[in-house]
Amino acid sequence: MSELDRRDFLKIVGLSAGAAAAVGCGDPVDKLIPYVIQPEEITPGIAVVYASTCMECPAACGLHVKTREGRPIKLEGNPEHPINQGRLCARGQVGLGRTYHPDRIEGPATRSGDGSLQAVSWDDAKNKLVAKIGSAPQKTWILGGAVGPSLDGLIDQFVTATGIAGRLTYEPFGPHALIEASEAVFGVSAVPVFDISGADLIVDFGADFLDTGPSPAEHAGQFSKTRDLATHSDGGARLISIGPRQNLTASNADYWIATAPGSEGLLALALAKAVSDRLGSNAAGAALAGADISAAIAAAEIERNVFDGLVDKLVSAKHAVVLPPGIASSTTAGAGSAAAVLLLNVVLGAVGSQLKIPATDAKPTSTLKDVTALIAEMKAGNVDCLLIHDLNPVYALPASAGFKEALTKVGLVVSFASLVDETTEVANLLVPDHTAMESWGDASPRPGIRSLVQPTLRPLFDTQALGDTLLSVGRAMGGGVADQLPSGSWKSVVEANWSDTNWRKALARGGVFEPMPTREVTVAASAANLRPSAARLQGSGDLTLVTFPHSYYGDGRGAALPWMQEIPDPVTKLSWNSWAEISFAKAKELDVVFGDVLTIDTGTGSFDVSVFPRGGVREDIVAIPIGQGHTVGHYASMAGDGEPGVARGVNVAAILPTALDEAGGQAYLSTRATVTKTGRFRRLALSQWTDNQRKRGLAPEVSIYDLAQTGGMAHFVAAAQASEAGGEGMGEGEHAEAAAGGHHFEGPPFTFDAANDSHPDQPYRWGMTIDNDKCTGCSACIAACYIENNGTIVGELEAIRHREMTWLRIERYVGDGDDDVRDSSERRPTPDGEILGLNEVRHLPMLCQHCGAAPCESVCPVIATYHSPEGLNAMIYNRCVGTRYCANNCVYKVRRFNYFDYGRLNWPGLLGLMLNPDVTVRGQGVMEKCTFCAQRISAARQPAKDEGREIADGEVVMACQQACPSGAIEFGNVKDTASVAALKAKQGDERSYHALQELNTRSAITYLAQVRREKNEGVH
Amino acid sequence: MTQVAFVVTLVVASALAFWSGWPAADSDEANVAHAAGGEFLIAKSVCDAHALRLRQAEDPDLEIEIPAEFDKRWPSANACESAVKAWDPEAPGPIQPIPFSHKHHAGEFKIDCLYCHAGTDESQAAGVPSVEVCMGCHSQFPAEYDQIEGIRILKEHWAEKKPIEWVQIHRLPEYVQFRHNRHVKAGVQCQTCHGPVEEIDKLYLVPDSHIGYLVPVAKLEMGWCINCHRQNHQQASQDCLICHN
Repeated sequence: MSELDRRDFLKIVGLSAGAAAAVGCGDPVDKLIPYVIQPEEITPGIAVVYASTCMECPAACGLHVKTREGRPIKLEGNPEHPINQGRLCARGQVGLGRTYHPDRIEGPATRSGDGSLQAVSWDDAKNKLVAKIGSAPQKTWILGGAVGPSLDGLIDQFVTATGIAGRLTYEPFGPHALIEASEAVFGVSAVPVFDISGADLIVDFGADFLDTGPSPAEHAGQFSKTRDLATHSDGGARLISIGPRQNLTASNADYWIATAPGSEGLLALALAKAVSDRLGSNAAGAALAGADISAAIAAAEIERNVFDGLVDKLVSAKHAVVLPPGIASSTTAGAGSAAAVLLLNVVLGAVGSQLKIPATDAKPTSTLKDVTALIAEMKAGNVDCLLIHDLNPVYALPASAGFKEALTKVGLVVSFASLVDETTEVANLLVPDHTAMESWGDASPRPGIRSLVQPTLRPLFDTQALGDTLLSVGRAMGGGVADQLPSGSWKSVVEANWSDTNWRKALARGGVFEPMPTREVTVAASAANLRPSAARLQGSGDLTLVTFPHSYYGDGRGAALPWMQEIPDPVTKLSWNSWAEISFAKAKELDVVFGDVLTIDTGTGSFDVSVFPRGGVREDIVAIPIGQGHTVGHYASMAGDGEPGVARGVNVAAILPTALDEAGGQAYLSTRATVTKTGRFRRLALSQWTDNQRKRGLAPEVSIYDLAQTGGMAHFVAAAQASEAGGEGMGEGEHAEAAAGGHHFEGPPFTFDAANDSHPDQPYRWGMTIDNDKCTGCSACIAACYIENNGTIVGELEAIRHREMTWLRIERYVGDGDDDVRDSSERRPTPDGEILGLNEVRHLPMLCQHCGAAPCESVCPVIATYHSPEGLNAMIYNRCVGTRYCANNCVYKVRRFNYFDYGRLNWPGLLGLMLNPDVTVRGQGVMEKCTFCAQRISAARQPAKDEGREIADGEVVMACQQACPSGAIEFGNVKDTASVAALKAKQGDERSYHALQELNTRSAITYLAQVRREKNEGVH
Repeated sequence: MTQVAFVVTLVVASALAFWSGWPAADSDEANVAHAAGGEFLIAKSVCDAHALRLRQAEDPDLEIEIPAEFDKRWPSANACESAVKAWDPEAPGPIQPIPFSHKHHAGEFKIDCLYCHAGTDESQAAGVPSVEVCMGCHSQFPAEYDQIEGIRILKEHWAEKKPIEWVQIHRLPEYVQFRHNRHVKAGVQCQTCHGPVEEIDKLYLVPDSHIGYLVPVAKLEMGWCINCHRQNHQQASQDCLICHN
């Protein structure tokens, strides 16, 4: 053995083990199956990108669909698209998964008497439909969600041609109230478009524009630009968020005013009145006559000086814009509240600049009121055939409306859904539509912007585009129906609708993008007729039930996608289930802690749900996310966990009354609830168990004033010192006298030269700059990372055990934290830093730091993780033997271990087709972590090598960086001091720091500290 | 050490050459015919005719008869020979769905590798020719060629638009991200990894072992890759991440 060193010994041992294994198994026979006819545009191994449109929410962002060998594998934003400008939110990223989803309906089917499904041919399905519609057209209705203009037109033509009773287009989260308000205030029935890019003050009355609002990717981009410190030395726009619950927008606000639920409209009208008086403006005319300021202050339960502070800010702002209440704050006076907000915008002079009225009217859509009318018809036996598309009414409509019961009176319920849901469960005939990746279509989120949807793979199953189904049914009905329908296929219908454009060019670009034609509006006389009022709540409980849209589920459609379940909610960091948020005081009163099950009873209905006490909700509310509680679906329900038919979480529709606002839309904020303790406990998957960063400076904050005066991070260091010396917080000037005292950090801070951490001969040292000030916590980067890097979904049980496999997480801290050691008698720590009405939230995207002196590398016994010549902290899976020493020694806790063969277990159905072929799927017993998208670096190296040059700056784009709607992430070669990443790090020099830099890991990620633009004592 | 490997290769190669005798000995039976003058052999196909002529050249006493319909130049003797050898069960390597001979195409006709394996110089994946590429040439050949079974099978696939399921011979594990284009562009000959395919009828993983770290390293194992990367360290990186990510 003296001749052998350790390395050789391992090699021989390894070889003999391999030889032994080979005898037992033999080599698997792999087939090489080339094309019969290779499509011209496809070279195996080279990605082809198509432009399309995201259909996950009505914002209609532009997509670049990356395909490999004819399979879409990744969605990215279309840089040419005016809505998202190359970025894409988490929901958009994972929308691709619908196509490969295990819940896909594989072909037309009928439900027989015993409830089982029988596959039928398309001809049979068509004949059945033709016979039913033909026998009683006056008893046939279409109920669907919002669709693109071409399909919308075709359905209208179908309704006219076949003479069926009618069609309802219902979006649970549709902008009914805003249209009604616009109608009253301006006399035009249009959806006002909010543009915050030029604003210097944004007041959000609950639209939650950064997360669940009307166009989150677009607004996050505008928000980031209008607050960019590089162009706004004063910090740019200020954001004030108003509402009873701290949502993601409030988490990013400079001020959060925790008003009483449902008081937004009154407050907005009072503000309009006060601002109008102060400015001496007459813009709103008589519309403000009845506003009662003191009543509004009382209703909102805020201090008078808070109100006055708000008025001061609004008056002094040059370009203020106010956003209307969103779903969570939609009361029975929702349209009145929206009208008050529009009036406030009028008074502030935002109309025409920050608030634009499109030149064309919005197409009228149906409301919950119309749907309840249809339900009444169904109950009366007047509906014999109901065609349901792009909507899951059985799930989404309030149970109190009685839709499901009424369905039993309908002779034939037809569903066009591509994925199984609660509605397909009760439908008699399934005629599945293609997914958005498989079909033609278009979208027009606002006038001037027309976006195309084009198929990027051949349909995987025996499905048919809804347009083609309608055309074939219509043509088969005879009696002149065919003559009233367009000729050709669904594709030719779309093409005909685009005949005024250059079709090929539009396809390549993703659509036709023109500025939105707007119109001048003035306040109409009818403005005084639509007034906000205090929330009228049903029920008798002591808490107000606030049901808020979950960041990822939309109206419930997102819950089917495993990534949306797995990625923690950006505010609470909970995943895979429902929860009820109550205040700490209420939790104490009820004697419950995190995970204890509560019964929520509204009088309309009740359910049990685990509690999540937090400081970010008012004491008088209980807040529950919308979107969970599905009983059907591999991921949406517990079916994937082996409990088919069991709901995952709770569906708020089960306990919401059918309350309507003035426009007929659903009022989600409409009931009180009684909350009682059950005594049971159900663990929830919480990915971050504390929001207390314990003064470790993980996510520090710089005051904008200190930034201007002292060069910023000097303050951060001093503040840390001050706090160690017993000082309190970040008060101005305090840092100056706190120079003495124990230094929190060992070693010299902010002086690391990341460029020295790669091989001297190498031109590259890859590094990243993350601007925490821009990060909103939206988690689009996490979704992008999962999909780019074949990240696996572990499911609720494993997530509860903290075995989630995400390479990138966003840590959420509140304030600088404190140093006290927690009382060990407490059962378990939970996030407890939030204080009502105070916003000190810090977001910190945490991923492998690719340390220059990485703690993980030195402990690996097999050198599976090592420092690459280009400065990457590489992880070689096939070398890893799974000791997990590296994860134990990683100070950032970013390494993930494959406890199970997640890669094989967790791609049911065809989900495996979505895997990125450039990235290894990790097997059981292997450690993994962020690779800095090594495959993307490698891809960028190819043209550089071909051309005999170095990789230029900007050629390597990380998946997370590409997705980030705020542009918070820059990546590049930091050895090149002219690279954007290096420049940003330098530009933000006064804010730049490394996480846990006192440990001297020489991290390759430079964070730029968050900037506190205002003192956070509240508005005074 | 490398000499040992060389000797081993030599022995294996000569053994192969010895085993793969052609034409097969038992093919006589089918051809035997009796006439007044005694036994003589009748060709049953063009390929047969080529084979019999070859035997007669070796053994002038052999009496053969070649009907006019089989007295043709095409398919050539070499084509016939390759087609048989490509399906030789005795030869190393898996039996492919079509008796395709690299020797015939790349060796005899000197078709450039990249003509069929197009895209190998620009993509990480080697282009395996589509049926359409095969038919590009074979559809122009006279019908006589159909008597070679491989061509019949090929045309069947084309008629039914059915892809050919080749058995993979040069296989890297899924955790290896090998880039063909980089190697082609660096001037690495295809033969370096794939062996002298232009001399082989039935393709197999031609052994090319050497001793590294005291143990023999087989072809396409990592030590074998690294050996080359070491020798060409000016251009070839030895960073693990280059292949494993």
